[in-house]
Amino acid sequence: MISLVKATVGGLTGICGARGHQRGFLHSHLKIITAGMKTLEIPPDYSDVFLPPKPKLKFLNKVPNLKKAMKERKKLRDIQGPAKTANAFTTGQYAIVAMGGGYLHWGHLEMIRLTINRKMDSKTTFARWRINAPYKPITCKGLGQRMGGGKGAIDHYVTPVRYGRLIIEVGGKVELREIEHVLIEVAKKLPFPSKVMSRESLAALQKTQADMEQNNQNPWTFKQIAQGNMLGIRRVLSPFDLHNHGRFTGKFHLPGRV
Amino acid sequence: MAAATLCGNLLPKPGWLPLIQSVRHGSKAVTRHRKPLHILKQKLLAVTQYVPPPRGPPPGAYPSQRQALKESEFVLLLKKDLIKVFQDYKMIAVVQNSSSSAEDMMILKHRLHKHGISVKFFPNQVMRSFLSDSVYSNMTPLLIGPTVLFVSKEPKVKEMLSTLRASPQMTLLGACIDNTLLSTQGIVNYSKLPSVSVMQGELVSGLTMMTSRTASMLQHHPAHLSALLQQYIKQQSPDDATRAAPEGETT
Repeated sequence: MISLVKATVGGLTGICGARGHQRGFLHSHLKIITAGMKTLEIPPDYSDVFLPPKPKLKFLNKVPNLKKAMKERKKLRDIQGPAKTANAFTTGQYAIVAMGGGYLHWGHLEMIRLTINRKMDSKTTFARWRINAPYKPITCKGLGQRMGGGKGAIDHYVTPVRYGRLIIEVGGKVELREIEHVLIEVAKKLPFPSKVMSRESLAALQKTQADMEQNNQNPWTFKQIAQGNMLGIRRVLSPFDLHNHGRFTGKFHLPGRV
Repeated sequence: MAAATLCGNLLPKPGWLPLIQSVRHGSKAVTRHRKPLHILKQKLLAVTQYVPPPRGPPPGAYPSQRQALKESEFVLLLKKDLIKVFQDYKMIAVVQNSSSSAEDMMILKHRLHKHGISVKFFPNQVMRSFLSDSVYSNMTPLLIGPTVLFVSKEPKVKEMLSTLRASPQMTLLGACIDNTLLSTQGIVNYSKLPSVSVMQGELVSGLTMMTSRTASMLQHHPAHLSALLQQYIKQQSPDDATRAAPEGETT
């Protein structure tokens, strides 16, 4: 029995060995070729991504290092309107973008820092602050005090944030889907509405706004009426509305306004 | 509006009243809540809303023009192979294999390889798109179902048919032999044809039949030739006599 098998195998190998190319022919034809037309996604190329030596978010002080701490006025206009600084990406790919104005105090910053440092993979991703440590002093009078008697003492410090400012920038050898859930967790806990955006989505947002301004079919625009003071509307509008063309009220951003 | 009562404004000089006094201080410009807007501002915002451009037809409304789909590189590679196949091989037969195992396939390939026929696999989609562009567009109806190509440089049809008869799963659909499309019946007839040399011999012999006959007759003994010629004369003269008699009767 075994000798028969050996003879047949020997015979087959003899046939194979007779012509060199036939060996490969038989081997390759043991299974029917059924290659499909599936095109696979090319994985992203991270060869030009630079990972800094300290990838985690650094600790931000509760109180700025001042010799003499001065009390400041409320100056709520640092919340009003769109952000002029830190509203574009620098080193990272994904960011948390503020969709409204507000103040971030040390508790928020600690929450952000701890969450991201804990949940981020420091070997492949890095994160950067795009806001300063709290510098604006907020005074508090204390319980049960009557009006008057001067301004209260400095209670804590905050960082003002305007609409469109980047809070955190994340980058490295990651795709959005990997880091999105971490950033959304943080974004939900901020005192103002915020969104997780990538470079492309931020550019798309700006583009949609520009397109809306371009193809608006309404012959009347807020900008035109406010600048021309038509019907004396400046009586109920502030100079702030003039600058921002009715897209903001106080610290809120009105979406869909052009 | 003119105020009935004064609020706690600082009066720089005693007895000096500011020209415009607001009764209600209310909240500042930036509040935690959404401040109620002045009715005129509300109206202004309502009037200056964004009006989008008119929408085009929905995506499925009109039949879209078929855009040429960008073919992947694998498909292009297969098409290059196909071009080579059609150039190099004279006989390309399309066979349908319904559930033949790998072992059967191997045995079949081995048998065909002995006669110089190779087996090629190409996806039907790729073949159809290739054939529609090339000269062989009439081969497209053959490519239905799980098809396999048998290609060979020499059109060895008889051997192929005998091998296919051995395996019951393979069904011959058609073939393109020497740039002519043949059905199964046509292939069978083609196999029954004699070879080219035989046909050439027959043609040559048919053309040179008369001359060869004369040559052979002259080579024989002249008595044979003279006997034949006498017979011919006898045949001719009775013909003349029979022809003269009816002419005489009529006149």
